[in-house]
Amino acid sequence: MLMPAAVLVFVVLGAIAVDFAVAFLGEREVSNAAAAAANDAAGAALDRDRFYADGALRLDPAAAERVGRAAVAAAGLEDLDDVRVRVDVAAEEPVVTVTVSAGVRYVFAKALPGGPRGVRVEASATATAEEDD
Amino acid sequence: MRWRDERGAVGGIEVLPFVFLVFVAGTLLLADAWAVVQGKVAASAAAREAARAYVESAGPPGGAEDEAVAAARAAIEGHGRDPGRMRVEAVGPLVFERCARATFEVRYSVATVNVPWIGAFGTGFVTTTARHSEVVDPYRSGVPDGECDE
Repeated sequence: MLMPAAVLVFVVLGAIAVDFAVAFLGEREVSNAAAAAANDAAGAALDRDRFYADGALRLDPAAAERVGRAAVAAAGLEDLDDVRVRVDVAAEEPVVTVTVSAGVRYVFAKALPGGPRGVRVEASATATAEEDD
Repeated sequence: MRWRDERGAVGGIEVLPFVFLVFVAGTLLLADAWAVVQGKVAASAAAREAARAYVESAGPPGGAEDEAVAAARAAIEGHGRDPGRMRVEAVGPLVFERCARATFEVRYSVATVNVPWIGAFGTGFVTTTARHSEVVDPYRSGVPDGECDE
């Protein structure tokens, strides 16, 4: 009985490794989406009225929200569940932080009795708008 | 007095070939799953590089698209994968102007091994897909003006 049990343990451990890799992959996906969204928002959400008024580089929160959400929507995260996006713009700095979270479905773990169906992953990215010299 | 009955040992040995087969099938299944995960990582990197190359290129539109495809191929090769199994496509219209959104989708076919009892996945290839999207810098010089209110 020891050998079949050892084989079963080996296969289950391998399955856990693959599921963890899938979760890591999901985390990378949301991380890439957050980085792209923050980058887009820092460039496209510049508050032009404020810039022309006093020369200060500031971001328009509404525009940053719109651009950030559009970027995440275009990032192809359809294979993830319940994608949530949060866009935070700093009050007196041209800094935007985009946080993306989503549910990742496991491949093998759900086949085990009592195994989890998936895991929630989250990633944040911050971008700063800077003036070129 | 010592017990010399070997019936239990024979029963244990009989099950070993079955155990070995389960071991091989399980290992192949995991190897297939792992190959798909690696293919997805490579496709994801290729899509990101394609989108970055497009929005950072000097243009013109056709040249920018060529740069995107070249960047995707280089990324796939960098991951030790075969660029011949990759397909790069733009999602939606590609307009090379300020604030235009460029979205690239990379599909990569991962070859899978035939697993005993389960068989191959589909035709022996699993296609992984990754997409990345970026906007052309609104304040870059040398790029045609565009509609910046997304």
